[in-house]
Amino acid sequence: MSRLYLLLKYTAILLWSSFVVAPFLWALTTSFKTVNGVTSGPTYLPWLQYTPSLSGWTGLFGGTGGIDIVQPYLNSIVVTLGASAISIVLGTLAAYGLSRFTYQLGFAKNTDIIFFFVSQRIMPPIVLAIPFFLMLRFLGLLDTALGLIIVYIALLLPIAVWVMVDFFNNVPRQLDEMAMLDGCTPLQAFASVVLPNSLPGIIVAGLFCIIFGWNDFFFAFTLTFTQTQLLPVAIVALNSSVTPWWTLSASALISVTPLVVIAVLVERYLSRGHLAGAIR
Amino acid sequence: MAQIILSGVGHTYTGAAHEEAWALNPLDLVWEDGRTYALLGPSGCGKTTMLNIISGLVKPTRGRVLFDARDVTDIPTTKRNIAQVFQFPVIYGAMSVYENLAFPLVCRKWPRERIAEKVAEVAEVLDLERELRRPARTLTAAEKQLISLGRGLVREDVAALLMDEPLTVIDPQFKFLLRRKLREITERFRLTVVYVTHDQNEAMTFANEVVVMSEGQVVQRGSPEELFEYPRTTYVGYFIGSPAMNLFPVSTDGGALVFGGTRLRSNYDAAALPPGQLQVGVRPEYLELAFEPGENTLAARITGILDQGSVRVVALLVAGEPAKLSIPRGRRVPSGDVLVRLPADKIRVYVDGDLATAGR
Amino acid sequence: MALIAEHLTLEVDHVRHLDDVSFTLERGRLHTLIGRTLAGKTTLLRTIAGLQRIDRGTLDLDGQSFLARPVWKRDVAMVYEQFINYPHLSVLDNVAFPLRRRGLSVDVARERARAVLERVSLRGFEERRPSQLSGGQQQRVALARALARGADVLLLDEPLANLDYKLREQMREELRGLFSDQGGSIVLYTTTEPAEAMMLGDVVLVMHEGRLLQMGPPDEVFDRPATTAVATVVNDPPMNIVDGAIEDGLIRLGGGRSLPLATHMRGLPSGSYRFGLRAIELELGSADDISGAVTFSEVSGSETFIHVDTGFGPLVLQIEGVHSFALNAAVPVAIDQEKLFVFGPDDQLVAAP
Repeated sequence: MSRLYLLLKYTAILLWSSFVVAPFLWALTTSFKTVNGVTSGPTYLPWLQYTPSLSGWTGLFGGTGGIDIVQPYLNSIVVTLGASAISIVLGTLAAYGLSRFTYQLGFAKNTDIIFFFVSQRIMPPIVLAIPFFLMLRFLGLLDTALGLIIVYIALLLPIAVWVMVDFFNNVPRQLDEMAMLDGCTPLQAFASVVLPNSLPGIIVAGLFCIIFGWNDFFFAFTLTFTQTQLLPVAIVALNSSVTPWWTLSASALISVTPLVVIAVLVERYLSRGHLAGAIR
Repeated sequence: MAQIILSGVGHTYTGAAHEEAWALNPLDLVWEDGRTYALLGPSGCGKTTMLNIISGLVKPTRGRVLFDARDVTDIPTTKRNIAQVFQFPVIYGAMSVYENLAFPLVCRKWPRERIAEKVAEVAEVLDLERELRRPARTLTAAEKQLISLGRGLVREDVAALLMDEPLTVIDPQFKFLLRRKLREITERFRLTVVYVTHDQNEAMTFANEVVVMSEGQVVQRGSPEELFEYPRTTYVGYFIGSPAMNLFPVSTDGGALVFGGTRLRSNYDAAALPPGQLQVGVRPEYLELAFEPGENTLAARITGILDQGSVRVVALLVAGEPAKLSIPRGRRVPSGDVLVRLPADKIRVYVDGDLATAGR
Repeated sequence: MALIAEHLTLEVDHVRHLDDVSFTLERGRLHTLIGRTLAGKTTLLRTIAGLQRIDRGTLDLDGQSFLARPVWKRDVAMVYEQFINYPHLSVLDNVAFPLRRRGLSVDVARERARAVLERVSLRGFEERRPSQLSGGQQQRVALARALARGADVLLLDEPLANLDYKLREQMREELRGLFSDQGGSIVLYTTTEPAEAMMLGDVVLVMHEGRLLQMGPPDEVFDRPATTAVATVVNDPPMNIVDGAIEDGLIRLGGGRSLPLATHMRGLPSGSYRFGLRAIELELGSADDISGAVTFSEVSGSETFIHVDTGFGPLVLQIEGVHSFALNAAVPVAIDQEKLFVFGPDDQLVAAP
């Protein structure tokens, strides 16, 4: 490989990396600035170009002009993980059934049922807001974590089913058969053979669910008021007459961190071809 | 069609210093115009590398590639006028069979009448005349492979036809038909064909000449008969033919080869053989059961009989060495201790695994 | 002690995959089931395994109904044509898996798995994943898993079909030895290749278009094929079938050719017959024999199959060694009437050499 090629390659990689990292860097510096630092044009070097301040960060924990982010943060974790976990469990089971057995509900067959699941995501969320609101009110679950979890499950389940059906379809059916011939009941075959070989699929589906749940603002905003505030709603509430850019930047960083961590952890696992060798 | 010359061509993917470790050890090879070649070997032997060098997908680390007198080493695939058929049919599913066959000519801006004429001609050869209006995606895998081939045939400037395991996805019952069709077409159009396969039967059935490769080297090149009768190495003797060639260790005594205490008469003069480990090879089809002692006859014991239907393969120990012998059904198979004869003109001598040419 | 099937029938979209199939498979014997692709072999195996429901018929093992039992209670082991192994388990644990399922401790199961892996020549590969093995080795793992537990019924569905030809040759010889230890099991092995069926089978079953056409010892099936269909399926290349007649003490073939009556045909009444001739019994003859034109020649192992067009239809000859023939070359074909099989117009065998 020629030296010029290497040089070009690494230049390109470097350019692209800086392009990706820049917004984070920008948010990081802004989070340590005050009004003066923010309005005096683009500056990056603390102490040299601007005077660093912790007010952006203290603002997240009940400081002046800020909010207390701890409770919304915990709420978001509970609701996202709760809804995602339930969706993955139910979605995986439903998807396995749809992948392996033939159903007939009136005119509807497997593919129709799968489409029915996915079709719910075709509607714009706004259409769903009012029905959800009315249903939760009827159940007395407005402004509760449980109510949000139920709504999120309704929204996440189709994604989980859709992703997992495709995944199970790619796990050779002979594997289940083999497990049953080896003495497993269908459920044991699913748990001890199919599931371990579908882990990448479960991770993908889980990732989708967590990202969606974590980032959702719309339903969190319409279905909660004061008792149960989620992170995105809390952050938006910061946006008063004078926008506190420093606190917003700090909150942006703190809210994106879990997703970055998950992405890094999972990436290595996903790139490992796991099914190779199941079938020639 | 063109003659293809590989001159000192070798390739390494890793940049290894030793040429013996290259995916393709440097070699000179000439593919004659209008002949059908099979490139045969197990996976990883370098046959696909060689094919890709001819087609231009791989630029050799060393050496030149010539089509007739033209040096094409630095010319990309698209400009080499190569027609290729891959393992999986490459067709335009949305187009009709006619449009598929016409496509290369439309791209070359041929006048419409000439295209129609040429496509009709090729369709007739491929037996696809009645399918011309059908959408190509509705065809069987075998028919799709014929179209892949046909798109090469319509072009008149094709230098060579390269096929990479083209029968892989064809159902067994159609394989025979497609093989026959391919053979008819290559004979009729006098194509220069390089056909890559790991299947001995396919290579031996299809090609005028078979190039056997192993570990980056060409081990033997010859007609199917030559490969069968005179395997250049013991590996070829094993790889070609079923069951494999029998090999017996021998020693020399003056001008004669000695096996199990018996002096063998053969077409070889043992005194003229180069030094090295000596073996004689005799194909199971040529090893004979004998009923009385005589020339080249040794004592043997039958250890098993494999009834394969039309032939029986007898496993035996000849002077303590395992061997196989095949007998057509209907002939009586004895049991226990027997005599076997190694026919003098069927004995091949190997020195360190290579067919001896001296002493013959 | 046997597996007894009666009247197994399955029809899907008006195609009979199994058509009134009845047989008795005995313990300790190796049964090979030969038939072309789509003859119903796989359907039959899946029915025995419990993976396929059927329309009609009964299946009993040692006097107890097998059909009523779900797959996991049948104690059936199966090797598929594709190399199916558990990708997430090591080679050793793949083989130990069915043993663990039957309640053996990890140590005992692994110990036994190790022994079986040794038998299939996979010693030293225990800790690898199946994906790190070659195709042949993967199939050995599948074989080891099936052999490990000494199941009541061992089914093998064209296990060598996806291996290349040298490997197939080697595995065929090994298989006989491997199965000989399976004492009490009922073994059923399917193949499309006559040589494999003949070599491995104590009993050969012939299936064609969903029907079981013949069942018996290899020699009997090969030497006295009950119908023309059996004759074509159990020969490779398929037996040549030529229409003709016996008249005036002569065998009359199409195109004005006639041959003297063979000894085994004496006593047959005059009339139309179909004559069967094995490719290997046909020989390249001299000028006064039947003349034909070569339409194709192919090499199979150490044999050459020559396809010839004659006045009474296409014939295939099998000759020893590797030979090349130009297309359309004229060749004389010698037919020995003593080697002719005679079938009635209803395709049933009436006389065999």
